[in-house]
Amino acid sequence: MEQLIEQLKSQIIEALNFEDLTPADIETDAPLFGEGLGLDSIDALELIMLMDREYGIKLADPKAGKAIFQSVRTMAEYINANRTK
Amino acid sequence: MRIAITGIGAVSAIGKNCAETLQSLLEERSGICSMRILGSRHTDLPVGEVPYTDAELKVMAGVAPDEPMPRTALLGILAAREAIQQSGISNQPITFISGTTVGGMDLTEQHWVDYAQGKATENIHLHEAGESTLVIAEAIRNQFSAFSWVATPSTACSSALNAIMLGANLLRTGQTKAALVGGAESLSKFHLNGFNTLMILDHQPCRPFDAERNGLNLGEGAGYLLLEPEEEAKRREATILGYLGGYANACDAYHQTASSADGEGALRAMQGALRMAGLQPADIDYINAHGTATPNNDLSESAAILRLFGDHVPAVSSTKAFTGHTTSASGGLEAAICVLAMQHGVVPANLNWASTAGELIVPTAHTTYQPLKHVLCNAFGFGGNETSIVLSTTGIDLPTADSKEPECLCTIEQTDDTDSSAYISATESRRMTPQTRRIVVAARRAMAETGIAQPDAIICATQWGCMLQSMRFLQEMIDSEEQQLKPTPFIQSTHNTIASLIAILTGNHGYNSTYSQGKQSQECALADIRSQMSLGLIRNAMIIEFDEQVDAWDNVLQHIGDRTENKARVTMYTVKRNN
Repeated sequence: MEQLIEQLKSQIIEALNFEDLTPADIETDAPLFGEGLGLDSIDALELIMLMDREYGIKLADPKAGKAIFQSVRTMAEYINANRTK
Repeated sequence: MRIAITGIGAVSAIGKNCAETLQSLLEERSGICSMRILGSRHTDLPVGEVPYTDAELKVMAGVAPDEPMPRTALLGILAAREAIQQSGISNQPITFISGTTVGGMDLTEQHWVDYAQGKATENIHLHEAGESTLVIAEAIRNQFSAFSWVATPSTACSSALNAIMLGANLLRTGQTKAALVGGAESLSKFHLNGFNTLMILDHQPCRPFDAERNGLNLGEGAGYLLLEPEEEAKRREATILGYLGGYANACDAYHQTASSADGEGALRAMQGALRMAGLQPADIDYINAHGTATPNNDLSESAAILRLFGDHVPAVSSTKAFTGHTTSASGGLEAAICVLAMQHGVVPANLNWASTAGELIVPTAHTTYQPLKHVLCNAFGFGGNETSIVLSTTGIDLPTADSKEPECLCTIEQTDDTDSSAYISATESRRMTPQTRRIVVAARRAMAETGIAQPDAIICATQWGCMLQSMRFLQEMIDSEEQQLKPTPFIQSTHNTIASLIAILTGNHGYNSTYSQGKQSQECALADIRSQMSLGLIRNAMIIEFDEQVDAWDNVLQHIGDRTENKARVTMYTVKRNN
């Protein structure tokens, strides 16, 4: 799980163009949206695509992302439970 | 001056002309069905296709079978021809203003692999949005009437209404005696896939304003109005179909793709159009809503309508459940539909509506016959580019003015990005391309130098548009065979990305537009501000000339001896002071 979390942080930095951040700058349990990284709805779509490309998870309903993307940890847990690759 | 409408033309999934369009509307016959022509792999997405192949459209448009032509232009020729024929205008120069964003993207995506091998190069120059307008103008010139001047507004889904606004302003400042205005847009795999990455396409026929709505269906088509001063129309003894009574463009300045929850930009556009027409909300009999059927648009537009009309909301319907969302053409097509609605005293149905949620307006679900004197037509685009027009059965007097040259205050050109951090925060710059950063720096420097932090108008002029992200999305779409595409390159691919970004960054709700007319793009922007300043609609303006050097497109352009160049030049203008 810890390995997945670290990998996910790197993937988020790349997918969302956080050029000035390192994985250590992202707190595992901090909120991704609103406070924390301050992500928006475009980022949510990018994260949905990241899960599709990297882990073979397809979300049909963008609203489902809200619960999954609460933090890096919730995202990692969802990926762990649903990944197809 | 009263601006008369003496001709209308409409082509969409529900008809190849106005008569067929009206018939489909009255019979509540939708044109949305399974994809037959586009050839995308996403056949599970219903679309509003014009049910003719390019070859069939060429026959209908009087175009030679082997002549390279974007589908956008083919659709445009049919609608433009109809509007001109109906107006009976001839032997008179006409200004032609036609909005599009897709332009010749259909040819570019078909021939992308050919281009790499130096084949099919006769299609390359047609990629430019403005080329489609020129091609339509040329075809019409050969068949009917001459065009004195052309312009292509490209503000995504509000393009056609912005074309109508420019045409009206040119009439009111005596710069033309007749203007054919509206828009044309074909389906493309590019924007079907783009909208798909935004997860806002319904897999069923769309349901505008319904509580269970789940996105839009893309459509295609063209729609034009022939505008002329009432006195000219009367002098020619032309039949007057209606009048353009008012119009306004405002920026939501909220988000690149989403509309604000309170519909601020939409409210300002509708209020502005009513104010110009000298009307009160109670005077409006019908609103042809933008009503795309995405959860976000319909909520935001409802909020704006409810803020403006309170407890007295007039009949409202979205005709997109008939035609699909025809994007850049939608304002022209739906304005033509409004004229038909006024002529025949009918509120078109808002198909597929079944249930309401408290915060949404309740649309007119079925065809309803009632006299319509004044109607509002809305078109909203990416980046919060919101435009609203008033169409009326009676003439509305609009002030005129002599055309005056604006005064240039300063020009800032940005060629490097070494000091961009002084002008752009890390959060702001995260999604920007290097060229976008240079443009934003130039804009902020120009605002600082002139002390004009909130220009009344922000207008972009670009030959190719945002090519880095366009080419990125196109290449990925072709490489991946339309799968697993990232949304950001698509979101930033539209020509109006830059003008709306500047508005979002500076909270500017003013006039916002973009022109893409090849090397004449800046001239179009200047014509726009010249007419608006002369009429007192704006006091100052920022014109941003931009283009982006992109290797992938240079590899194609080399076959026709052309190349792209970086340009980030911002000029501030003000009303010329009288000495």
